[in-house]
Amino acid sequence: MKNVTDSFVSLGHWPSAGSFGFNTDILATNPINLSVVLGVLIFFGKGVDLLDNRKQRILNTIRNSEELRGGAIEQLEKARSRLRKVETEAEQFRVNGYSEIEREKLTLINSTYKTLEQLENYKNETIQFEQQRAINQVRQRVFQQALRGALGTLNSCLNNELHLRTISANIGMLGTIKEITD
Amino acid sequence: MNVLSCSINTLKGLYDISGVEVGQHFYWQIGGFQVHGQVLITSWVVIAILLGSATIAVRNPQTIPTGGQNFFEYVLEFIRDVSKTQIGEEYGPWVPFIGTMFLFIFVSNWSGALLPWKIIQLPHGELAAPTNDINTTVALALLTSVAYFYAGLTKKGLGYFGKYIQPTPILLPINILEDFTKPLSLSFRLFGNILADELVVVVLVSLVPLVVPIPVMLLGLFTSGIQALIFATLAAAYIGESMEGHH
Repeated sequence: MKNVTDSFVSLGHWPSAGSFGFNTDILATNPINLSVVLGVLIFFGKGVDLLDNRKQRILNTIRNSEELRGGAIEQLEKARSRLRKVETEAEQFRVNGYSEIEREKLTLINSTYKTLEQLENYKNETIQFEQQRAINQVRQRVFQQALRGALGTLNSCLNNELHLRTISANIGMLGTIKEITD
Repeated sequence: MNVLSCSINTLKGLYDISGVEVGQHFYWQIGGFQVHGQVLITSWVVIAILLGSATIAVRNPQTIPTGGQNFFEYVLEFIRDVSKTQIGEEYGPWVPFIGTMFLFIFVSNWSGALLPWKIIQLPHGELAAPTNDINTTVALALLTSVAYFYAGLTKKGLGYFGKYIQPTPILLPINILEDFTKPLSLSFRLFGNILADELVVVVLVSLVPLVVPIPVMLLGLFTSGIQALIFATLAAAYIGESMEGHH
């Protein structure tokens, strides 16, 4: 009876207070239950894969971002090459345009030259023509003047004797001319 | 005679078995104050656990988090989520406060439920979760009060006190009373829950040392986690409430 109660007492024995120390009573300090609880906690904690999910989500996000980045870079590259192409085309167009303008200019200048030359010719011709006309007029005037003078001279100093002499001289001259022509 | 001593022994044994220490403290004398040494010791351990694990977790940060870093980032995300839901858009500066509250209370509670504190024997009292002591929870609750007053005053200046007569001036006494009931309810809820959890476990262990306390201990883990969450959520809610604009 005493043994039983003693064991019972020692079972619930609380080490008396007083100083720091370690309580070695396994039942009072409860490590068995604690380890079971800890084990259950870890077991069920492992079952819940919040952390794995999170990691997976982060990985997916990173992968998606990488893909998006790759796509964006590709698009950028494409856009750049297109820009380059368009730039060269623009350059070509500009060069072409310049040469076209140059050609146009040249042809315009040439045609203007031709027109100018023609005008020059016209001018020269007109001048010559005018000159010719002026000369003719002068000639005509001089001729008329001479004729008038001759007529005056003839009218003033022509008498019968002279008249006759002249006629005979002329007849003689015509006669010689006729002889010569014959 | 023999029988008498035997029966006395038996009674003493029975008394010892059901003798659960409550209100026994390991007093330290610091500058005229009596402080509860066991609470300080366990608080230091909790602080060391938090600081140490956080330091280890962030020592070598990776782009793709693994192990400890992943876990701590998850915890941080959780805390940010709680603060954001309760405080609103301007939750950023309050994440450290809410996070400190939540982590300290959570690790304290769980340390009480998981660590074999009783292996270490003190001259007086026994080691338990720091939140098992009313002083810790009152300190935390008062910090929360200070925090929400600070939040309201910095956000709105003296206009903050306008909320006391907010729906009608008749409610002024109740609104003032609220400032006292908030820390009171916060501290008592946490203290009561944790103390009750631990007491139930201790009593059960002293009655049936094996297997039977395990469900209660698991329940204790659950409730202590919930209590930490409740405390953090309420602190964030009070801060958010004092910062929100009145319409």
